[in-house]
Amino acid sequence: MGNRTFAYFLALSLFGEKGRHISTVLLSILIVFLLSSVLFISSSIHSVIENALREEPDLVVQRVEAGRLVNLPLKWEEEILSIRGVSKVTPRIWGRYFTGVKGKSFLVIAVDFLDENSHKTLEKLIGETELKTFLDGRHMIVGYAVMEWMKSHFYKEYYNFIGRDGEIKKMKISKVLPKEDNALFADTIIMGIESAREIFGISEDEATDLILDIPNDAERDFIADKISSLHYDIRTISKKESRAAYDRMFNFKGGFFLSLFCVVLLAFVLILYQRYSQVYSREKRQIGIFRALGWSMGDVLKLKFLETLSVVTGSYIIGVSIAYIYVYILGAPLLKNIFMGNGNLDMELILPPVLDFSALSSIFLLYALPFIAAVLIPVWRISVSDPKEAML
Amino acid sequence: MSYIIEIEDLQKHYDNSGERFHALRDIDMKVRRGECVILKGISGSGKTTLLGIMAGLDHPSSGKVVVDGEAIAKLPDRHLSRFRGKHIGMIFQHYNLIENFSVRENVMVPLVPMNLDFEEVERRVRESMEVANISHKASMSAGRLSGGEKQRTAIARALASDPEIILCDEPTANLDRANSERFVEILSKLHDMGKSIVIATHDPIFDHLPFEARVVHMEDGRVVEEGRES
Repeated sequence: MGNRTFAYFLALSLFGEKGRHISTVLLSILIVFLLSSVLFISSSIHSVIENALREEPDLVVQRVEAGRLVNLPLKWEEEILSIRGVSKVTPRIWGRYFTGVKGKSFLVIAVDFLDENSHKTLEKLIGETELKTFLDGRHMIVGYAVMEWMKSHFYKEYYNFIGRDGEIKKMKISKVLPKEDNALFADTIIMGIESAREIFGISEDEATDLILDIPNDAERDFIADKISSLHYDIRTISKKESRAAYDRMFNFKGGFFLSLFCVVLLAFVLILYQRYSQVYSREKRQIGIFRALGWSMGDVLKLKFLETLSVVTGSYIIGVSIAYIYVYILGAPLLKNIFMGNGNLDMELILPPVLDFSALSSIFLLYALPFIAAVLIPVWRISVSDPKEAML
Repeated sequence: MSYIIEIEDLQKHYDNSGERFHALRDIDMKVRRGECVILKGISGSGKTTLLGIMAGLDHPSSGKVVVDGEAIAKLPDRHLSRFRGKHIGMIFQHYNLIENFSVRENVMVPLVPMNLDFEEVERRVRESMEVANISHKASMSAGRLSGGEKQRTAIARALASDPEIILCDEPTANLDRANSERFVEILSKLHDMGKSIVIATHDPIFDHLPFEARVVHMEDGRVVEEGRES
């Protein structure tokens, strides 16, 4: 086929009959947009979680009393350190601070800034320049949503915590974590370990938990078992279990997406059916005319294949581009609310751009192949039939 | 004598629920190069079926059909399509135009699979539209044309690939007298151009053509009489 003449005809098929393709293209764009948006959001969240997990301690040791998490004695630190394979044990203090009976809550995480290793997990968030300020007095770093909440309650520079003893503990806001960290640290407050002890009333010989460095991956399970046997009330949490907890949180949201996918799938099946019947109702005669005027089956299939491929590829590119703008530039309004999880503070979720090319290719294939088949099968069936009948 | 169409012992039947319907029986027919043949007969006499077989749109049940030296009944689809596009121009009773295409685009349809330069395609389209006297409507969509204009577009389309054979199926069935006469004028032009023409019709307008034509009468799928008219 003369390339230019064929290209002209292809353009004619695509744009000459706008009404024929417009509804298909619009619905296809919507489907690709929805699928890609969900994919972009989930890839983004996964990437945030992956980064967080990379910084998780190798093993966390806690104390459970009658099934309830309680503070553990610091003397356990020495016992655990004596186990072969454990290179470091660091006490940690954390807890959820409620602002009132029906108020919001913050997750207070305390780190020992005198201990170089204890704050490594938060190093990226804090930034080294802040260390000196922290060592000087009552300072805290707050998550973006915490800052917003405090600001709305007229605490612009500091916040008054009410300690266990009923006294007010005034903590100065020295830094706000960036919005980009909202997915994991929106309601987090980071402060020095001594300040946290004062607020929560935790004595010098206690900690909320211990975090362990175990350099050899293969030994972690074995060491966890060994630690569990030290005391009846010890609970250990491995990196693997932390990941499972994150996954469970994420899979819960997956239920919503399953419903969304079902709706999208139904819409897609309807488009396929519409396109399939359109070939029989509107294009049958045209194919018959082409065949009667010297077009071979291959010529007809080639035209329809390229026409459909253009529609599918065009819709796909537009759908993915709109999804990218919607998720990463506009911040996925409405859809991102699903990911707020148990965050109790109003916050803006910033999704770091992540492009999962294998998933994007899968969407294209799962979308394009049935679509092309829904056109080419009836086209082929009409092409092999009598052109005279097709023209009727 | 050089024949462009040779048909020998042609049979065409359809089997339906164990019953056999004979559409064409024992057809022997030859069409010379440049000759005009009028197939006459009432509806159901087999004219259109015979025309369809000559065009390679339909396959005979048995017998030999040779068009321009090629036994078309045995050609595979791709070759038959190419052959049809290159050697045969079809004019249908209901025009069979693509309504949302313009006149120019409709005329272009048979040229698409011919692997021609776009300039050559445009030249052929232009010339065919001039012969059929439809150039002034080139950009109008076929759906907005009158019956006569549609017919002339169909003629231009049949001429676009410069075929040696023009097959017309009831070409004036949907036209008024004036448009039918214009069709005959164009037909005369095609005859002067040396085209071999076969027309299936029962319109009496073809009884008195301005050029020599052979009339073949058909009845119940058989050729019953042949004569010459002018």
